[in-house]
Amino acid sequence: MHPAGLAAAGTPRQRKWPSKRRVPVSQPGMADPHQLFDDTSSAQSRGYGAQRAPGGLGYPTASASPQSAFLGDPVSNMAMAYGSSLAAQGKELVDKNIDRFIPVTKLKYYFAVDTMYVGKKLGLLFFPYLHQDWEVQYQQDTPVAPRFDVNAPDLYIPAMAFITYVLVAGLALGTQDRFSPDLLGLQASSALAWLTLEVLAILLSLYLVTVNTDLTTIDLVAFLGYKYVGMIGGVLMGLLFGKVVYYLVLGWCCVSIFVFMIRTLRLKILAEAAAEGIPVRGARNQLRMYLTMAVAAAQPLLMYWLTFHLVR
Amino acid sequence: MAFTLYSLLQAALLCVNAIAVLHEERFLKNIGWGTDQGIGGFEEEPGIKSQLMNLIRSVRTVMRVPLIIVNSIAIILLLLFG
Repeated sequence: MHPAGLAAAGTPRQRKWPSKRRVPVSQPGMADPHQLFDDTSSAQSRGYGAQRAPGGLGYPTASASPQSAFLGDPVSNMAMAYGSSLAAQGKELVDKNIDRFIPVTKLKYYFAVDTMYVGKKLGLLFFPYLHQDWEVQYQQDTPVAPRFDVNAPDLYIPAMAFITYVLVAGLALGTQDRFSPDLLGLQASSALAWLTLEVLAILLSLYLVTVNTDLTTIDLVAFLGYKYVGMIGGVLMGLLFGKVVYYLVLGWCCVSIFVFMIRTLRLKILAEAAAEGIPVRGARNQLRMYLTMAVAAAQPLLMYWLTFHLVR
Repeated sequence: MAFTLYSLLQAALLCVNAIAVLHEERFLKNIGWGTDQGIGGFEEEPGIKSQLMNLIRSVRTVMRVPLIIVNSIAIILLLLFG
């Protein structure tokens, strides 16, 4: 079978070339490799043609436009045409394969925020005590975009807070005369490493406790990234007003994040128990409760650990 | 506080190596964590011990060949760059 001879990246390209050429007969079977054995000769030669001479096939179509260009030199014409066809193919390849490694469409959901959402969410992060309803609203089985529901997790605030944390750490180190540019990279890398470690530890414990939850990895990253907001607040207040204020503000933010995480994770991890509203007794629920408490308790610890060396 | 991503990678590699060297017959069977000793529990939810045993078994099976490659790369890099 010819697909065995081609690389995996070549197979989607091979599917695309025949669909461009065969305009009249639209065969849905062209996308199915099992049906390609009916047409091996034409598809194979076209497939090999598409792979072996990409510049050659792209060159005749692309050279039509630069011929009217001001560069009359045929060598530079050819070079420009080849370069543009290579760039187009590279872009095509990246676009096809990027979805395998980074789920771009899923990420777009997490950045669908607006100013009001950010304002309300920041208020919630600093003062979660009066908020009553923590459920995420659903719209036909998919969660509503963060723009419309303040309970939905987003990645905008954690990303911005992380970057701001790195900058504020640089600022704090500068006030102590300990700054050098590579320390910024070190701070960023260190915070990222702690975040990765946290995510891996929580994923491992979720697997061990066999929780059937709809908490995806990106959701988890979003929730764990909310603590950077409190950290920034604490460090800035500490820089402005001194160490006592730093401890006070950090303590307040720690308690807030603790309550926030418990109330949010309770709905995700302890789904059945929270739906009834009463604490159900049982080994499984107890284990899940411990897990939620452990995750929530790790947040203040990390908030302190990552900031105490910045305010002296 | 030089906890970088690189040290996380090193720690991960060492942990996976540690899981891979657990000997099936000499060690895991003796502490009751062998692969044939835990598959009986199909009636309810698995429980932590059988999840752990499953995890160890799957890590050992999946990571056997990639670990050879990654370990060789790590050895060569450490020899060259210290």
